[in-house]
Amino acid sequence: MLQPRSAYLHIPFCHRRCFYCDFAVVPLGDHADGAHSGSIAEYLKWIETEIERSGGGPPLSTVYLGGGTPSLLTPAQVGTLLTALACRFGLAPGAEISLELDPASFDQGRLAGYLAAGINRVSLGGQSFDDAVLVRLGRRHRRGDLLEAAGWLRQAHRAGGLRSWSLDLIQGLPEQTLAHWGDQLNQALALCPPHLSIYDLTIEPGTVFERLQARGQLPLPEPDLGADLMELSAERLRAAGYGHYEISNYALPGHASRHNRVYWSGAGWWGFGLGATSAPFGRRLARPRTRETYAAWLGERLAPAKPLIELDPTAALPLPFDERVLVGLRRREGINMAELAAEHGLGPGELDLLRELCGPFITRGLLGIEGPRWRLSDPEGLALSNAVLRELLAWWEQRVAAAAPANP
Amino acid sequence: MTDVPVSRIRNFCIIAHIDHGKSTLADRLLQATGTVAARDMQAQFLDNMELERERGITIKLQAARMEYTAADGETYILNLIDTPGHVDFSYEVSRSLQACEGALLVVDASQGVEAQTLANVYLAMGNDLEIIPVLNKIDLPGADPARISEEIESIIGLDTSNAIPCSAKTGLGIPEILQAVVERVPPPPDRVNEPLRALIFDSYYDAYRGVIVYFRVISGRIARKDKVLLMASGKTIELDEVGVMAPDQRQVESLHAGEVGYLAASIKAVADARVGDTITLLADPAEAPLPGYAEAKPMVFCGLFPTDADQYPDLREALDRLQLSDAALKYEPETSSAMGFGFRCGFLGLLHMEIVQERLEREYDLDLIVTAPSVIYQVNMVDGSTLMVDNPATLPDPQQRESIEEPYVKLEIYTPNTYNGALMELCQERRGEFIDMKFITPERVTLHYEMPLAEVVTDFFDQMKSRTKGYASMEYSLIGYRKNELVRLDVLINAEKADPLTTIVHRDKAYNVGKGLVEKLKELIPRQQFKIPIQASIGSRIIASESISAIRKDVLAKCYGGDISRKKKLLKKQAKGKKRMKAMGKVDVPQEAFMAVLKLNQ
Repeated sequence: MLQPRSAYLHIPFCHRRCFYCDFAVVPLGDHADGAHSGSIAEYLKWIETEIERSGGGPPLSTVYLGGGTPSLLTPAQVGTLLTALACRFGLAPGAEISLELDPASFDQGRLAGYLAAGINRVSLGGQSFDDAVLVRLGRRHRRGDLLEAAGWLRQAHRAGGLRSWSLDLIQGLPEQTLAHWGDQLNQALALCPPHLSIYDLTIEPGTVFERLQARGQLPLPEPDLGADLMELSAERLRAAGYGHYEISNYALPGHASRHNRVYWSGAGWWGFGLGATSAPFGRRLARPRTRETYAAWLGERLAPAKPLIELDPTAALPLPFDERVLVGLRRREGINMAELAAEHGLGPGELDLLRELCGPFITRGLLGIEGPRWRLSDPEGLALSNAVLRELLAWWEQRVAAAAPANP
Repeated sequence: MTDVPVSRIRNFCIIAHIDHGKSTLADRLLQATGTVAARDMQAQFLDNMELERERGITIKLQAARMEYTAADGETYILNLIDTPGHVDFSYEVSRSLQACEGALLVVDASQGVEAQTLANVYLAMGNDLEIIPVLNKIDLPGADPARISEEIESIIGLDTSNAIPCSAKTGLGIPEILQAVVERVPPPPDRVNEPLRALIFDSYYDAYRGVIVYFRVISGRIARKDKVLLMASGKTIELDEVGVMAPDQRQVESLHAGEVGYLAASIKAVADARVGDTITLLADPAEAPLPGYAEAKPMVFCGLFPTDADQYPDLREALDRLQLSDAALKYEPETSSAMGFGFRCGFLGLLHMEIVQERLEREYDLDLIVTAPSVIYQVNMVDGSTLMVDNPATLPDPQQRESIEEPYVKLEIYTPNTYNGALMELCQERRGEFIDMKFITPERVTLHYEMPLAEVVTDFFDQMKSRTKGYASMEYSLIGYRKNELVRLDVLINAEKADPLTTIVHRDKAYNVGKGLVEKLKELIPRQQFKIPIQASIGSRIIASESISAIRKDVLAKCYGGDISRKKKLLKKQAKGKKRMKAMGKVDVPQEAFMAVLKLNQ
């Protein structure tokens, strides 16, 4: 089993919590900044300690600083974190080092600082070009901030300091029409981002949007319009030269996110910070989601003089079959079922059974099987991927249950 | 404890409408006589099925023996026999009344007399029971005992000058009630020296001891080790145990005329010791059984199918076991091309059906599809034969039938007169024939209709309650069969006939029902990956159709490292939901859809 070559760092701090957001975040108010926040400084100590006391491993080829709003950190603070990783693991030559930035939380000087500290890819949380929508989402930035930030990124990209950048947008917003969304896509394409992530608005438990929805005050698009919006995105972006390489991700050639592809490939990764999940050697670990619980978790593990998380690479497990299928089928290239079957001990008879189970999807053109490769069609198969996944997950669950020793 | 002379025994029951406080009153009586110590008191001691507690109604009756020292200084045995408070179980009520000499008529002092109460009071009066009116909830601000007393007098014709005001909640009036039971309820007739006749008024199944039978000794004496004959079933048994409910079962050597007790004799199923049967001694049998025995007849039928075909054997076993404790439950295997293997089951009424369904799901962990309830139709065939049809899908084709007859009931509704109009409209919609309307007080009326039972067993009760803000109450009894212009309405899902959705309706209503049904199904069946036509037909003629368009988007927006476990859980949960649906051909149909015909007005 290969050693993980990727690391995710969670920076939970935000100015405010957006109305759709259920991430592990710590809102600090509109004037917070890493330069003078005791909370941020304290947290950075913890996460550095976690990195220093981890088991270590070979040099990292991708690093992702996500949040939260990591752009609340100063370039120096980002630099310290990258140094901690470089000391413990090393950074491979040409490593992709991404940072999430929110419009209105940084300026051109700060961007230059991040790049100098080692960042070479940026993901910009634009979400929408419509001020009314941004207000409704509970975002702090406005269209002008987004255009300005994108301008700096384009400039840095042209100058060569920034290798690639991505723009995040949300589709399926309350009261959205096809025409409105088409206009949003045009505005996005006008900025020529090398990479676009387009997420369908999902109403998560505990969010402001969930409460609004419960009260009937969130007029989301009808399901068919939702499908139209999705198809429009795929169509427009394909025409503009973007590859639809994952359900919600589009990239110009050579600009797919290497870090995110790790999650979908089934390979392992390290994770640091509160709320972060790591999955080295097939062992998934989700860290506590608040500062208090994370600090306590960390404190418990620091006391004995041994590595924070004991891992034995020789006892590595593959990620479970159902998870591999769940993430793998999100990709344009799908999954290599023969390889997966071999890895998880599926017999040839079981493969035939799976193929039979998925027969209706194949007939309807949602799923294609070419040799060992299983792949969902674009756009129909991807749009209805849950139906295929439910079938495969249920089959696997039953198989696992049947294999488990009967309860006494 | 069984040496007590017959003159110091009192057997009584409580007649009350749901929510009028019967169970609370029973609890207070047990407490006041020291039968149950306050600390052992679980609220509502007599209702000991989980389901009864939740619904606050009595389904299975129980009994309790209390010792009470009256004003004259003598100790009396008071046997309280509980009666079920629902129309589905009126036969059981009549048997438990037969075991008593008196009844407490409990009426909520703010609500007044309700239909079910009235039906039971009339039954009690017919059995010559001494009736003691009790005005409960006297402590509530809305209580109006004078008005309610007047109502009782004018409706029932009962002297209420000595009605007892009480609050079961606070304990007010409890000593007066106990004293009144001693003074006003007559002791049982002394028939100790006659041959044994004991009336079975309830039984339940105990996994270890077999059926436990509750009985009242009418004459003679019954003792442990006696060999007895059950006169209706013809079974002979040797008694392992005889005892009293105090209120926990306590064994005694023997019980004599006038007493109430239980027996155990390794009886395998309650069907072998049915309610209403007479117990007599094998060696010295009584000449004739006690009057009034009848076998419970199912009135309402439905199909029960396991969602997962693999659970069929489990369902059969569960039904077999339920029948051990529920003699009224009838079932036979049913096979449907659409649904696979299942059972056609007969019930006393809708509540009974719901109870059985819930017990199957709760106690036996089965996922069930229950089809809409149907009544039993009499089909007169062209060839002169008659056929009883309890499953609409098996109704013969029109060219083979001469006519169809359906069961009718006499329906009585008690309501504040402000709701007259709404109720008459409802009855009209349900093909009711108006018989008469009587003002029982200036504010309350009784409406009398004759109506097809089929119209009552759908959502009539719920509709009545919702149109009267819960104030109306009803009571019905079967009056016979009548010929009507009835047709079979079939439903086709994705061009395949869906047997379990077939209904029998009046020709004049067929179009509206068909249209409503396909619309409701469109709402209840989730969109799937292909378009699904839904049609209603009479014979080969399509009278209504709708279609469910294909779903186009069913996808997880985001899935990164931290999301995977959560998204996996979500999909698995959805997969389980899908498994709970019944696959009819290629279409997954949720359980609610099979009851669509009951939801046309919602």
